[in-house]
Amino acid sequence: MTHLRNKKISNHRSRRAALAVALGFVLALTATACGDDGSGTGGDKGSEGSGKGEIVFWDNNGGVRTDIWKEIIADFQKANPDIEVEYVGIAATEYQSKVDTAIQGGGLPDVGGVGAAMAAGFAAQGALEPLDGRLSKSSLNGKLNEAMVESLKSAGGGEALYSIPTSANNGVLYYRTDLFKAAGLDEPTTWDTFYKAAEKLTDKDKNKFGYTIRGGAGSIAQALDAMYGQSGITSFWDSSGEKTTVNDPKNVAALEKYVGLYKKVTPAAGLNNDFTKMVAQFDSGTIGMLNHNLGSYQDHVKAFGDKFRGIPQPTGPGGKRVQVSNPVDGLGMFRSSKNKEATWKFIEFALSHEENSKFNESAGQVPANNEAAKDEWIQQAEPTKLAAAALTDGSTSIVQLPYYLPDWNTISKADNEPAFQKVMDGQTSAKEFLDALAHQLNKAQAEWNEQQG
Amino acid sequence: MITKDAEKVAPVTPAPVAEVPPRRPRRQHRAWDEVPRWQIYLPLSVYLVFTLVPFYWILLFALRRPGSTSLVPWPLTFEHFEKVWNERSFGTYFQNSVLVGVVTLLMTTLVALAGGYALARFDFRIKRGFMLALLCSQFVPGALLLVPLFQIFAELRMINSLGSVILAETVFQLPLSIILISTFIKNVPYALEEAAWVDGCDRFTAFRVVVLPLLRPGLIAVGSFAFVHSWNHFLFALMFLSNQEKQTIPVGLNTLLSADSVDLGALAAGGIIAAVPVVIVFAFIQKWLITGFSAGAVKG
Repeated sequence: MTHLRNKKISNHRSRRAALAVALGFVLALTATACGDDGSGTGGDKGSEGSGKGEIVFWDNNGGVRTDIWKEIIADFQKANPDIEVEYVGIAATEYQSKVDTAIQGGGLPDVGGVGAAMAAGFAAQGALEPLDGRLSKSSLNGKLNEAMVESLKSAGGGEALYSIPTSANNGVLYYRTDLFKAAGLDEPTTWDTFYKAAEKLTDKDKNKFGYTIRGGAGSIAQALDAMYGQSGITSFWDSSGEKTTVNDPKNVAALEKYVGLYKKVTPAAGLNNDFTKMVAQFDSGTIGMLNHNLGSYQDHVKAFGDKFRGIPQPTGPGGKRVQVSNPVDGLGMFRSSKNKEATWKFIEFALSHEENSKFNESAGQVPANNEAAKDEWIQQAEPTKLAAAALTDGSTSIVQLPYYLPDWNTISKADNEPAFQKVMDGQTSAKEFLDALAHQLNKAQAEWNEQQG
Repeated sequence: MITKDAEKVAPVTPAPVAEVPPRRPRRQHRAWDEVPRWQIYLPLSVYLVFTLVPFYWILLFALRRPGSTSLVPWPLTFEHFEKVWNERSFGTYFQNSVLVGVVTLLMTTLVALAGGYALARFDFRIKRGFMLALLCSQFVPGALLLVPLFQIFAELRMINSLGSVILAETVFQLPLSIILISTFIKNVPYALEEAAWVDGCDRFTAFRVVVLPLLRPGLIAVGSFAFVHSWNHFLFALMFLSNQEKQTIPVGLNTLLSADSVDLGALAAGGIIAAVPVVIVFAFIQKWLITGFSAGAVKG
């Protein structure tokens, strides 16, 4: 009897334990659950909505821009108390994959950052709402930088405007004024003075280098900038519009000269340099010059104070400056939004003179709003002022990169960055590399032309 | 066996043995003494330099003032830590990561115990196929299943909840954990459980009282794997969570890298905050972890 009673008690305990474990799981998941259904895929057509309620905004450069966007959102909510904006900051490196997953699986926001480099991909998947009509009826009409609007329209495929520009970046040549002064060098305003300075500032025994080259992520755009800047060729395509100029003999010669800098006047680590490593090398104080964009200006201010300058790219043959286009950033409305009216109000507000000025002052970039571009702070931020002038005063020819090609990101990154490292390492010639790149680009352009009819 | 037979055939009377002082086990000492110390310390030092210099670099960036290029973090500053903890919401990310890590650890361990016990102690028709399926599931990368998982969680209304990350992490860790635990359980003699049954325990009580205490190294190995993996895992948290208040540490770290600028001080401070719990976990459990790995590696 005692044995049976004990067995019964033991069975009860076992059941209680199993029940407790199961209950624990349920409670743990319940406590951490309470989510949403993540609705909103690329195929959803959405609706205009009431113009009130909540909208979700995905920032394509979350982290550094979080504070300024929260400030703009606070201003917006003050002006529009019946609209609430939920801010989601996503790291720039992961933004595209997050949006692509949401296009397929659901969970797209109402509004998000859509720069020139991503517009073609998102638009091709039918995820973006055309904004031409809304812009033409808006108070912003005629107040935005026309070149930036055109750039984003072209990047989205040319038929419709899928993103309203917020800002433009530009290539900058940063150089250490103290090192140049000590070496008695002129500022590197031409490619010739650039090469001479790079050589003179290099003292490998003392671990000092004239320049740092980008051989890792993002290397192709920088190499193209150096090529077209030196060759003076001003168009990415020949007159037929079917063949690229990247493998023009002048560009081949320019690339050979540029790649020749590697290890001669740059650290060997340049082979794997993405922008982070390149900026860190420059800010460590052992490098004389760096090619990057306006985005790293504040990092250099922290490192050197006023002992550096950021100027537009050097001029090439005949004193002409040629640069490749930097992606214009903007705000796009996702087609699946169920509150498009409120979303547009937010985009309009963010692009207004005051807010666009505030945003670009914080980001150190060139404002898309023409009135904001005339504000006082631009006169004080030298690289931004010079970049704005270079983009607007006609002194610079801009080679428009084909962001509209759906394969552009693949061709300019995954397919060719490793190949460029082989050129740097001497395993492939500049001509072989550029011929292969041209072949891919011509093929992608032909496919694009065919799709466009 | 041969020795025993030989003894049976010709028993040998032990010869008188002169008293010899007991031998000290000097072989090991000799081997140690014969190797010049530099041959031991030099490779170890080189290895340590490779291991510790990056850590020093992280500490340097985290503790020195912004803009400083000094190779010594002096004067010390904690402003990067304050910045990431308060301004960049690392306090919230940390809490979320702890919750995800601890709940994943508990769920993985408990389910792996049940599954491992079934595999170790029962024979059933699809056992081999089930084991094969568990092994094969390890070959499928999580990224491949992102969209279907997203849709499943959307149906369950679990997008934007930590529950989705916990569930996904648990599911992905279970195959390896079940296989490991079943190996540990196989090493515990079945006779011990049978003895407990004879003494009046039912199967669950026998497992809890007799087997479970012997599985401690295995549980620690599996639990620590589950915790560390879910602590460091980036992809599921990035994709299933959009609300800033629900993000985890790896996603937060990623936001410190912007498209064209990077605050290395903040990044280093964030990296230290992310690494500390893992280092502490390993410092406390390393003894059991090594026992666990070696016990699981040799079939008894």
